[in-house]
Amino acid sequence: MSTAVVSVLASPAFAAQRRYEGDDPGPGLTALETLALFVGIPALVIAVVYVLVFAGSGAKGPRYRPGVAWRGQPQWWGGPADAERAVDSAQPTQSGGGARAHW
Amino acid sequence: MPTGEVFSERQIHDVERAIAGAQTDTGLAFSVYVGPLGPNTREKALTLHDALGAEASRSVLVAVDPGLRQTEIVTGPDAKRFLDDHAAALGALAMTTQFNAGDLTGGLVNGLRTLGEHARHPQTLHLDQP
Repeated sequence: MSTAVVSVLASPAFAAQRRYEGDDPGPGLTALETLALFVGIPALVIAVVYVLVFAGSGAKGPRYRPGVAWRGQPQWWGGPADAERAVDSAQPTQSGGGARAHW
Repeated sequence: MPTGEVFSERQIHDVERAIAGAQTDTGLAFSVYVGPLGPNTREKALTLHDALGAEASRSVLVAVDPGLRQTEIVTGPDAKRFLDDHAAALGALAMTTQFNAGDLTGGLVNGLRTLGEHARHPQTLHLDQP
């Protein structure tokens, strides 16, 4: 009983040695082909995933990094049309309130 | 950091939409400035707020200096009646949390949403409502 089970489980190990009629294992792989198959293709898959991941973040535009000097142009949403002149000629208005925060 | 354009078209559009949303929520005018604020950030932010002219009184200015890591929110006298300093501080906190993670646009969008949500809406007394 146990001998039969072991021989069935171990049969793949003998596959290389056993030859059946009509069996065609084909020519072996050269070193280069082996390398392409087991190194080249996985590397290609990794490269594709890498590109898919980082192409997305690149398309989002430049990223602000805290602690790195800021040299970008000022951006003012809802500001006066001629911002520079408006700032220069700004008249102090009644004080309101607000808040401030540092990060 | 790259010089020149700092925000992509999409980011600019996102902030525009957040500003429009806060304006419809509160009826106040919102303005967002991102750039250098000089050595005295509060003074500069107040000057920018003054530069809004006639609109200044009912305006909320959000000024962010990414280099100095400073956020200033300035409310005009009329705007302050609806957006008190507590609500402004909440908005500033919402912004800086995301700025700290390197997300300027996300911080602005979330901060503007917070400001819009916390602005006190004046109570209207409808007689037909309990």
